[in-house]
Amino acid sequence: MAVDGVRARTGTPVRRILALGGHEFSFRPPDRAVCELLLRLAGEQGGERPRICILPTASGDTSEQIAGFYSAFGERSCEPSDVSLFRLGRRPMELRDHLLAQDLIYVGGGSLVNLLAVWEAHDIASILSLAWRQGIVLAGQSAGAMCWFEAGITKSSGRPLAAAGLGLLGGSLCVHYNNEPERRAAYLDAVGDGMPGGYGLDDYAGLLWEGEGSPSAVTARRGARAYRVSKGGGKVAESPLPARFLPAPAPAALREDIAEFRRIKTMRKRAGWLG
Amino acid sequence: MDMAPRQIVAFGGGGFSMESGNPLLDDYVLGLTRAERPRVCFLPSASGDADHYIVRFYRAFSAHRCEPSHISLFRREQGPSDLRRHLLSQDLIYVGGGSVVSLLGVWRAHGIDSILREAWESGVILCGLSAGSLCWFEEAVTGFHGEAKRLRGLGLLPFSNCVHYERGAKRGEAYHRFLREGMCGGYAAEDGAALHFVGPELSRVVASRPQARGYRLDVAGSRVVEMQIATTYLGDRDAVPAAPLPEALSTAPAA
Repeated sequence: MAVDGVRARTGTPVRRILALGGHEFSFRPPDRAVCELLLRLAGEQGGERPRICILPTASGDTSEQIAGFYSAFGERSCEPSDVSLFRLGRRPMELRDHLLAQDLIYVGGGSLVNLLAVWEAHDIASILSLAWRQGIVLAGQSAGAMCWFEAGITKSSGRPLAAAGLGLLGGSLCVHYNNEPERRAAYLDAVGDGMPGGYGLDDYAGLLWEGEGSPSAVTARRGARAYRVSKGGGKVAESPLPARFLPAPAPAALREDIAEFRRIKTMRKRAGWLG
Repeated sequence: MDMAPRQIVAFGGGGFSMESGNPLLDDYVLGLTRAERPRVCFLPSASGDADHYIVRFYRAFSAHRCEPSHISLFRREQGPSDLRRHLLSQDLIYVGGGSVVSLLGVWRAHGIDSILREAWESGVILCGLSAGSLCWFEEAVTGFHGEAKRLRGLGLLPFSNCVHYERGAKRGEAYHRFLREGMCGGYAAEDGAALHFVGPELSRVVASRPQARGYRLDVAGSRVVEMQIATTYLGDRDAVPAAPLPEALSTAPAA
């Protein structure tokens, strides 16, 4: 853990959570912008080579999600790792020590219900809560964003239904907000029926909590928004929040050997060596 | 009408997951159904519903010999929406290996634990290997991650269980220690051996490898008594076929 992080500068750790409505680990501009923000937050905590760990639990630890994470962060200035609870048999590790040594813990998407159930079985929730209080940034998208709240709207059982999260943040969150109209409708109904209000996040919109107070909204794609959703006077109100735009960084320069390989491949194609 | 017997076949390890090209244990559990085209549902929950595992199941349990299906609890938007109805309509439920801790957590979250009990009581045959074997017992020894640990299973069978019980394996020592510390007595099975329970009683031990064995373990005072159980190698031409088993056979220890 870095000594020049937020903790050392301020004396007391700042509790930070980044909740994202939805994104992928691709090289498209909005995805690059999201990864840049994750790297920046990790770097503020961990310095030049922050430790970033993915918990792909909600997906059942799919190779796809893990590989996507490494392809996004593997070539960057950080130490990426994964804690795959379904694969510990082949790669044992001390979960608590590993997680508490991170600068940022990223939780991938999938089934919110399974995420919470597997975490409970492995006693992960208390470790994450401690990590948060120690200043380790908690982040995630979709189920990995809703898990930090008291409740979310999940399709873990097929159709969208309310499910409980860890409750580090008060209120509720609904992800893929305008991208999945049936999820938004279920959320508005649930808040109308007494579920605590909260936020709606479109894909590529995010909310960042830093210390006490209200979160700040960010967006990596024009038109993607964060909404405050609350019940007042018997009605559910939905109001968009002003958001800071996250520009996509230039694509990372290709590594010398990869660039060389592509040059040769192009030359061969031209010469008709390859189909 | 007779009630179908409650049956569980707990593999120490084996079947399509571990014994590519040796279908003896899988053939055995299919035979127990006594159905011409048994309905077989695979639960890969302990692996996190790994795609490659599901593909291997469909290869081993191809549609010409049974009616295969699977339930992915990580992708509920696909597959049967009424889990209970689907599971209760099966002849055989086959549980894959992986993390037994995660398995039990996910099952509880979706109410699968009580559905499986109901399925067992109504005569659906339950089987599985590794995590898919440990889960049926009162207590289990898991060595999936780091040090061997003791944990509670679904408790359909009032015994303890230890899988991959190979000679010299660390989990064997741990099992003996847990027994001395008060774990209930139970059974262990080596890779290739399977414990076949009818009701709550061990009916027989079968094996896909000539040398694979099952064991009975009990505590007498402060001593653990381990007995090898006579095991039927399913590859023998005169092996007793998967005959109907009205009552538990003896569990006479082998010499």
